[in-house]
Amino acid sequence: MRGLFKGLIGTVAAAALTVTGTAKTDDDTIKFALLQDFTAVYTFVTDEYNQGQRDYLTLINEEGGIDGYTFQALVRDTGNEPQRGLEAYNRARREGAVLVDFLSTPVSRAAVSRVLRDEIVMITVLHGRGDASDGTTFPYVFPMMATYWSQAAVLADHIEQNEDGLEGKRIAHVYIDSPFGREPVPVMQELAERKGFEYRTFAYPSPGTEQSATWSDVRRYRPDYVMIWGAGGGQPVSVREAIRNGIAPERILSVVWMAETDARTVGTDVATGLKRFEAVATGTDYPIMERIMETVIEPGLGTGDSENVGTTYYNIGVASMAVSVEAARLALEEYGGPLTGEKLRDGFRMIEDYDAEGMMPPLTFSEEDHQGGGFGRISQWNGEAWEPVTDWYASYQDIVWEEIEKDAAGFREGR
Amino acid sequence: MAYFLELLVNGALTGLMYSLVALGIVLIYKSAGVPNLAQGAMVMLSAYFIWMFTAMAGMPIFVSIGLAVVAMFAFGLLAERLLLRKMVGQPIIMIVMLTLGLEIFLRGVGPGFLGAAPKSLDLGIPLTPIIVGDVFINRDYLIGGIVAVVLIGLSLLFFRTRIGTKLRAVSDDHVSSWSVGISVERAIGISWGLAGISAVAAGALWGSVQGVDWTLSALLFPAIAVVILGGLDSIIGVLVAGLIVGILGSVIPGYVDPIVGGGTRNVVTSLIILFTIMLRPHGIFGREDIERV
Repeated sequence: MRGLFKGLIGTVAAAALTVTGTAKTDDDTIKFALLQDFTAVYTFVTDEYNQGQRDYLTLINEEGGIDGYTFQALVRDTGNEPQRGLEAYNRARREGAVLVDFLSTPVSRAAVSRVLRDEIVMITVLHGRGDASDGTTFPYVFPMMATYWSQAAVLADHIEQNEDGLEGKRIAHVYIDSPFGREPVPVMQELAERKGFEYRTFAYPSPGTEQSATWSDVRRYRPDYVMIWGAGGGQPVSVREAIRNGIAPERILSVVWMAETDARTVGTDVATGLKRFEAVATGTDYPIMERIMETVIEPGLGTGDSENVGTTYYNIGVASMAVSVEAARLALEEYGGPLTGEKLRDGFRMIEDYDAEGMMPPLTFSEEDHQGGGFGRISQWNGEAWEPVTDWYASYQDIVWEEIEKDAAGFREGR
Repeated sequence: MAYFLELLVNGALTGLMYSLVALGIVLIYKSAGVPNLAQGAMVMLSAYFIWMFTAMAGMPIFVSIGLAVVAMFAFGLLAERLLLRKMVGQPIIMIVMLTLGLEIFLRGVGPGFLGAAPKSLDLGIPLTPIIVGDVFINRDYLIGGIVAVVLIGLSLLFFRTRIGTKLRAVSDDHVSSWSVGISVERAIGISWGLAGISAVAAGALWGSVQGVDWTLSALLFPAIAVVILGGLDSIIGVLVAGLIVGILGSVIPGYVDPIVGGGTRNVVTSLIILFTIMLRPHGIFGREDIERV
């Protein structure tokens, strides 16, 4: 929120500069609308994610922009409410935004038909609808990173590698009782059938403050591995309950929403060994992060607490903008300015093996694939930080794409 | 059988943790006659205070809890001075709406100033369970349950003191209390301060379990079930209803969730609220006021 306040002040200052004529004209500015939930459900991620996004755009601007174009972030709070999100979207569209990021599944879902009609690119990084990976059905929506289906497939593959096969194993899937929590179920059921392992689901009520009854049941199931599928405050509760019920941290695998703060809440030592899906590297030992430190943070141009730089969600924010700016660069190179939503969409589809200078797996988009390949890796809490234990890889994309195509067909048929 | 016992014991302890939140609501109602819907946000605010004193000021955790008690007592007095005092004599529904507004305000302001990302709070409670036979007992909840019982006991004793008697008189009738020289404003301020203290206990314990963020304010929902079932003005009701809500919310989902695919605990809590209001509106131990019309 502090970041939001600073961002709003920055926006006002930018507007004032435009009025006095000292700022660049609108034609030279590419506007990305970051209309996110700073106050309701996604608060566990938004501050750091948005800070990373804006710091990256500042870096690009400080480095001279792209072909004379600079970037402006339009930052507004939607409170995770579709109505407020659509209102903010309409305003941003009138202001000339060519890309929108809601970081909210309900708002993104509500906005799908609008962005398709208005031809504005919507990125749905690690949220939103997985079937939007089908670029032919959702030409202006880019999940950009591994969907929850792809994440489940990578986690299952990791167990398979560790155990020399999945046959006869028991995997418990403990999730927050919501569509998000249930999302991996069809992929895991298909995998269970194909690979011959036992798979059982255990739900706990939102927001996950209290899960003891669920975990008593999980313990009696005696799983070999547990996949936890939650977000925010429910995640450390899941890990604590799992450990308390005798499940070793090495056998707990989490969806992407597991960050440094969650490990600290569990207890930095107690959580040692815990594994998670990782979409973007953490830390600052990457060229982009070093340049952000040097050009943005040290001169005091950062948008939030500098302690956040290099954390899980900050880096995901940076990566989301790195990919978007790369798409803008390719689009301007191909078509010239001014940048439109249509050109930007094509720019995304031109991206090949882009890895944000080593921060993320190499992404390749196409007219069909807006997910970028479904890559990720496993990282493990070592008591101080998340440490990668595998290379970037994607798994069982055939099963994942069956789900994508099935759901996309449903959208086309109005289901 | 061991499974049932585990659900029963952990459910009872969880229920007592809910009682910690519910106690604040009852303390205020019993003293001021106001159903305080801001208690969930007060729990959240307490946890933020503890985190601030620990992480930002570098104080030991138990010193931080002590300072949070002072801060929340002061908050309670301020809430009375700045908000409630102006509402004396106003329709009760407007006072309820005021507390609801306060809940929403605090839920926005806390994360707004301190950042919305969850903060960690370490009370140093070991994660290993206490194992009795085949039953695993959660240490966090066990300690929470003990703290709840102690605070409920202290509250019972408090209402037998001279100040406690004055608070009960104020709850009965503001005007009559004034007429016999009781400072109604001060009494209401004290009740809010006491609710702040119970919020600190709840905030510390729940914050250590799940981290500190706005979702702590969602504890209001089970706490409301506890006070409705136990009776808005009954401290003993908080204890008994906390146990019932906790046990039903653990045992029923423990057997039904695997059949229906989850999600029954909130249904159980809602049904407790609905059936209590329909069958016994003043709760198990609440006082039934009969007004002559």
